[in-house]
Amino acid sequence: MPNGSPATQSTTGRMSPEEKTEIDALFSRHVNKGQFKYLRSAHLDVFETERLGVCFRDAVSGKKMYDCFTSAGAFNVSRHNPLVMKALEEALEDLDLGSYNLLSVHKLAFAKKLSSLAPGDLKGVLFAAGGGDAIDCAIKLARGATGRQEVIATVKAYHGHTGFSLSANGKEHYRHYFEPLMPGFTFTPFNDLGAVRARASDKTAAIILEPVQGEAGIFPATNEYLRGLRKICDEKGILLIFDEIQTGLGRTGKLFACEHSGVIPDIMALSKSLSGALFPSAAVLYRKIPLVVDFLDRRPNFHVTYGGGSDIGCRVSLKVLEYIEENRLWENAARMGARLKGALEDLMRENPKIVKEVRGLGLMVGIEYCHEFIGPMMSEALGRHGVWAAYSGNAPQVMRFMPPITVNDREMDEIIAAIRAAVKDMKSLLPVAMVAAKIPGVLSLLNNERVQVAMFGFLRRIEELTGKSR
Amino acid sequence: MAIETQSKFGGAELVTQGRLERLHDLGHDFLEAKREGAYIYDEQGTRYLDAHGAAGVFNLGRRHAELAGELKRALRETDIGNFPMISLEKAHLAKALADFVPGPLECSIFSVVRGEAMDAACKVARGFTGRPELITVDGGWYGQTGFALSLSERKDKDSYAPLIPDVRVMPFGELDAARKAITSKTAAVILEPVQAENNCRAASPGYLKGLLGLCQQNGAVLIVDETQTGFGRTGSKFAYEAGGIEPDILVLGEALAGGMFPIAATLLTQRVNAFMNAHPLIHLSTFGGADVGCRVALKAIEIYAREQPWRNAAAMGERLSSGLRQLIRQAAASPVRNVAGNGLLLSLELASPEAAKQFCKASAAHGLLVVPGEVATNTVVLRPPLTITPEQVDEIVASVKAAMESM
Repeated sequence: MPNGSPATQSTTGRMSPEEKTEIDALFSRHVNKGQFKYLRSAHLDVFETERLGVCFRDAVSGKKMYDCFTSAGAFNVSRHNPLVMKALEEALEDLDLGSYNLLSVHKLAFAKKLSSLAPGDLKGVLFAAGGGDAIDCAIKLARGATGRQEVIATVKAYHGHTGFSLSANGKEHYRHYFEPLMPGFTFTPFNDLGAVRARASDKTAAIILEPVQGEAGIFPATNEYLRGLRKICDEKGILLIFDEIQTGLGRTGKLFACEHSGVIPDIMALSKSLSGALFPSAAVLYRKIPLVVDFLDRRPNFHVTYGGGSDIGCRVSLKVLEYIEENRLWENAARMGARLKGALEDLMRENPKIVKEVRGLGLMVGIEYCHEFIGPMMSEALGRHGVWAAYSGNAPQVMRFMPPITVNDREMDEIIAAIRAAVKDMKSLLPVAMVAAKIPGVLSLLNNERVQVAMFGFLRRIEELTGKSR
Repeated sequence: MAIETQSKFGGAELVTQGRLERLHDLGHDFLEAKREGAYIYDEQGTRYLDAHGAAGVFNLGRRHAELAGELKRALRETDIGNFPMISLEKAHLAKALADFVPGPLECSIFSVVRGEAMDAACKVARGFTGRPELITVDGGWYGQTGFALSLSERKDKDSYAPLIPDVRVMPFGELDAARKAITSKTAAVILEPVQAENNCRAASPGYLKGLLGLCQQNGAVLIVDETQTGFGRTGSKFAYEAGGIEPDILVLGEALAGGMFPIAATLLTQRVNAFMNAHPLIHLSTFGGADVGCRVALKAIEIYAREQPWRNAAAMGERLSSGLRQLIRQAAASPVRNVAGNGLLLSLELASPEAAKQFCKASAAHGLLVVPGEVATNTVVLRPPLTITPEQVDEIVASVKAAMESM
């Protein structure tokens, strides 16, 4: 792996347990008490320091952790990638965010590079500030260009938390308290072409989906599904939007996940790893078809945002793209993904009572446990063995493994060994949990998120009181 | 000319014909290169005084040395960070904001851009009250994301419809209308204390107090968007402070980190944040409150607290507006009809949107970067850095004079 510590890397950043208690309290008071409790219950209340390559260090214990969450796929080029760092430090010599309404060589250069790497005729570029913002931009573009209102999204879809992206989220969990959201959004089961065909009409502006559903628990779209969607869109004048925020930039073993099927969407949203883990950046690519081009010509200030498409961000993202291209990182993602998936499948065969299914594409791998309560327990066990992997808040039985795609063989060996060790720990705990789970009502209690937070939080406090060392 | 410019930029990927024409119309068809303090330069070295300031993001001037230095230092110690995790940087920034911002706004939700921060505010208001109805005033401009767009007044809004339901618009400044509109079904009332994009229309202290009272009577929350007015722009630390109120939710835009990092925030009282505490991780943002960005914002807050730029904004705003008013009085047939606004958030009213564009172009030709208002498109907004000097104020006045004369 080409990474290492930049010469200037600070080694400070350790925290005493007393300091941690202080910062915990500050975070709880001024950011979110519930979040702290929730993380604490699963031993995930860790402060990250020495964020380097595929690892970070627990600021209190000093323990090195393999980052298999990476902000849900935002650190593809690894953390503190020295070349991206250098590009950013150089940018800081003479740049700032820049005027959003003006052009600069930095904006033009990044757009040109992104356009040249994009699949098919996705040649047009718009800037956005983050994932949600990019999806809002994409849906606005589709509605505006087609003059239609309906949007077909997928059940369990995850697109973000801003107004449009939240309206396209196919999970009740994220929507419930904020309804009513935007009318005109319908949800069809993922990989169900018939459902889309029944729904799509000449009133449909867009069909939006993730080529691999991430937050839902890693469900790759089949090639037939995607090709079928393309055909429906072509027949009915619908714009096809791919949310490649998690899947793009090498994650799935191709530079863009849509390359697996060869299906080119009309609009593609990118964010997360464009940031190089250092500076926010997002973009929306579009095919320069007359419908879209005419619309944008009439809207010279379409979706301008103060923070999106910043000069510094463009310099960083340009380097990220160059780095991924020069190192053909998607090939490494394919190879490492195959290794990880193979190892997890072995574990599934050996532990049918713990692991139910393994799914994935490239280095976007998900493991589904047999029960929801295993998710938080595994997060904790993995943490003890030096792997940071978070269970999905609204699907706790599913855990995602998305380490930086720069990960090398030795590092992958260690990640796999840690997962094996964590499963072994689970095996010793599971008989107790399973006996309890057989008592009527206990399983549903164990699987209840609030009960988990309360129960695991309680156990956590007992551990601390009794001084049990982890 | 337009075609010539296109070839100069290359950039067909990014630059649509429509955008190119717009840039040309405003005299902004150049590449932004060097930037420093109150100025930017194009590739040929032509200097412009930046009185656009990315709509007030660059409160502390372009490339503030301390902010650039802090970002450089912070990058060596931290990065964006894993968004669901607890974070030292987020905790410190949230604490600093709680101390800096007047009133009991103790808790922060972080975002990347203002729109996202407004969307968060609306969501929390709905979640906290258990009511859907959002009431705003006409003439507002809150950002590009879904909720923010639904609240904003803009001609192209229908292109993206249907937007967020249960959004009602009441006439700005009319308390009687507010009394009828705000009921026990209302989740939130949302407004900017000064509508920067709408000829700097300002809410009076009486109106703000009246709205807050109506919200309190009806169990609704008051959301104030200070993206363009916060940190001293209008001559006080926050515009709501001058209005003598304390909102339940405050939206702060990218001026939070002085234009060196994209970060915005939604500040809440402990009372309102109880909803977020009960439902953690229900509203997420990968880049919002990036650890490294929190460090830059923390430094910006330190500078804001130390320099108290609202004092300079009040004094320089006075100098600028009186200089501009004098120009209008003295001109035989002034294309600028009126000057509105407070502090260093000023708006020039022209006869038509076309005249406003012409004025921007003429200003650019005389070294001044300004843009028309987004809502009142016949206006031109002046938002120079809060750190501007008397000489630079005089330079703006001289550029405006030259622009007026050339029209």
